[in-house]
Amino acid sequence: MIDFLNYAVLGILTGQLYAIVAMGFVVIYRASRVFNFAQGELIVLGGFIVWTFVMVFKLHPVIGALLSILAGALVGILIERLFFRRLVGRSVFAMVMVTIGMIILLRGVMLILWGAHERQFPAIFPLEPVIIGEIFIPSPLLASGFLSVVAALALHHFFNRSRAGLALSAVSEDHEVAQSMGISVRKSMALAWALGVSLSIVGAMTYLSGKTLTYNAAEIGFAALPIALLAGLESIRGLLLGGAIIGLIQGLTSAYIDPIFGGQASAIVPYLFMLGVLLIRPTGMFGWKIIERV
Amino acid sequence: MDPAGRFSKTYSADVALVRTRPQAVALVLTLIALLVFAFMGSPRMLSVLTSIFTAAIIAVGLQVTTGFAGQVNLGQAAFAGVGAYCTAFLAQRFSVPFYLVIPLSGFAAAGFGWIFGMAAVRIRGFYLALTTIAAQALFPFVILNLPSNWLGGSSGLTVPPATLGSWRLTSERDLYLMALVVGIVMVAGAFGIVRGRHGRAFLAVRDDELAAGMTGIAVARTKAMAFFVGAFYAGVGGALIAYQLRLVNTEGFTLFQSIWFIAMVIVGGLGSIVGGIVGAAAIRGVQEILSTIGPTLAGLLPLLGNSFVFAAMNVFLGGVIVAFLIYEPDGLMRRWSILKSQYRRWPFPR
Repeated sequence: MIDFLNYAVLGILTGQLYAIVAMGFVVIYRASRVFNFAQGELIVLGGFIVWTFVMVFKLHPVIGALLSILAGALVGILIERLFFRRLVGRSVFAMVMVTIGMIILLRGVMLILWGAHERQFPAIFPLEPVIIGEIFIPSPLLASGFLSVVAALALHHFFNRSRAGLALSAVSEDHEVAQSMGISVRKSMALAWALGVSLSIVGAMTYLSGKTLTYNAAEIGFAALPIALLAGLESIRGLLLGGAIIGLIQGLTSAYIDPIFGGQASAIVPYLFMLGVLLIRPTGMFGWKIIERV
Repeated sequence: MDPAGRFSKTYSADVALVRTRPQAVALVLTLIALLVFAFMGSPRMLSVLTSIFTAAIIAVGLQVTTGFAGQVNLGQAAFAGVGAYCTAFLAQRFSVPFYLVIPLSGFAAAGFGWIFGMAAVRIRGFYLALTTIAAQALFPFVILNLPSNWLGGSSGLTVPPATLGSWRLTSERDLYLMALVVGIVMVAGAFGIVRGRHGRAFLAVRDDELAAGMTGIAVARTKAMAFFVGAFYAGVGGALIAYQLRLVNTEGFTLFQSIWFIAMVIVGGLGSIVGGIVGAAAIRGVQEILSTIGPTLAGLLPLLGNSFVFAAMNVFLGGVIVAFLIYEPDGLMRRWSILKSQYRRWPFPR
């Protein structure tokens, strides 16, 4: 029983970690209808930025983390300036394809700047686990749970209550209509990308804290997809629940099914789940239903 | 635009694939040149061209799915992988001759693709692209987790050489000829498909799903069909890869590979069969050139090292994709048609 509880709690908290990564998707999607396939590479980029601030410049982890988030915002604005500013009003297809091109481009840029070898990522969060009763919780996971709740509530408030957040939703509906209503599509997209990349940096910190940093970390980008889809791509608070559900399923699969199966079924279960969600309810749990008219 | 003074007198002349004498001459000369090259080219050049042909077949398939039917497919490499594994399995276990293995592999991949296209009954747009990512994720998992005496697990499967009677197709020239012949058949078939009833349905679905549905096109079935055809091409390409490398494992069919195929389609020009071929030649060509001069470059500039060259290749090609999407969204084929019409309108270009 206590084992089961341990696995469940770990799974749910790991799910929250993926939820933070998925927030990067959702923020950008909600603002521009662009599905950012390069999210995984942004996580690796975030990892390298944090590593550079903390390990090369020898900053205190907290200061390094804050500076990295700021740097992430700048990277986001740069991406918008370089690519998406020129695509305002063009088809969604072109924009999504640009994010696919960005995967290759970002990988190359990072290889040039930081090289191919793996490195030790600084422990942003303390290494010793937190023990509640008989349940062991690694601190980075606890932090990810806390951060994802805080970030989700803040973003929810931002998108539904603030003027800038509502403008983002208008932009995602239709560039031209938003433009004609006096909303600056460019500013909104820049804001969305700045937010999205900053979130990726938070995700990178919680995901990599105390681990090794390699380019394989990009896989988390696609691992977070099922959560974003389950929640419904527009819902931010839904990510918390989506993360919990998928994390729980994945955690229990890796604990009870992997040993029997002798493989890594846990790596694939989220995708199977995603396929199921897509087939039964493509808009996820809390996604917007879009009514099409001719 | 047709050259001045050319008029079709019959309907069949108007829809013919080769419409003018210069076109026919160019086509025949190209085919002769490709055939002659088999006996003139160095083995290295032949193997590069073989890989361009296989990439072109796979890219043409993606062109049908993505360029014509408008369904983003991020799993083309997985479909090719299914074809390659099917080839290895049939050729190794049952010694099926290659002229049966290649179409069978195509159908195996097509069946796999069709399953994901069937998801289109309920899903549209980029959600459908996500199911293809799931295909890409499922593919290595299934292979690696099956008992290793089935599909070889992580070490992969070896492929016996293709044989025609007593002729073993093992040299670079044999493989080149095989890829050339298969490529010609597949490209001709692609032209047939996209010009026919299905091709027009693809275009209608791409341009407006709702409107296509209202004109009586079964949208979901059309999408599934587009995946079926695209995956068939991937399977055939995968079979050729299997015969060329003689070893099949999951590492040749990753998500990154799928992205490369998309890059080929974009650079060549979406919605053009020839564009798929041009894109495959351009991207594979640049990859080959960079990996050939890479070591020399690394030798000249030891400071940069080998990984730098690889990274520069990614930056260059990633930059090319993004630049094409922003500045030349219709790819190289549009540039080509602009050049053609400017030539024809001379001395009044534009």
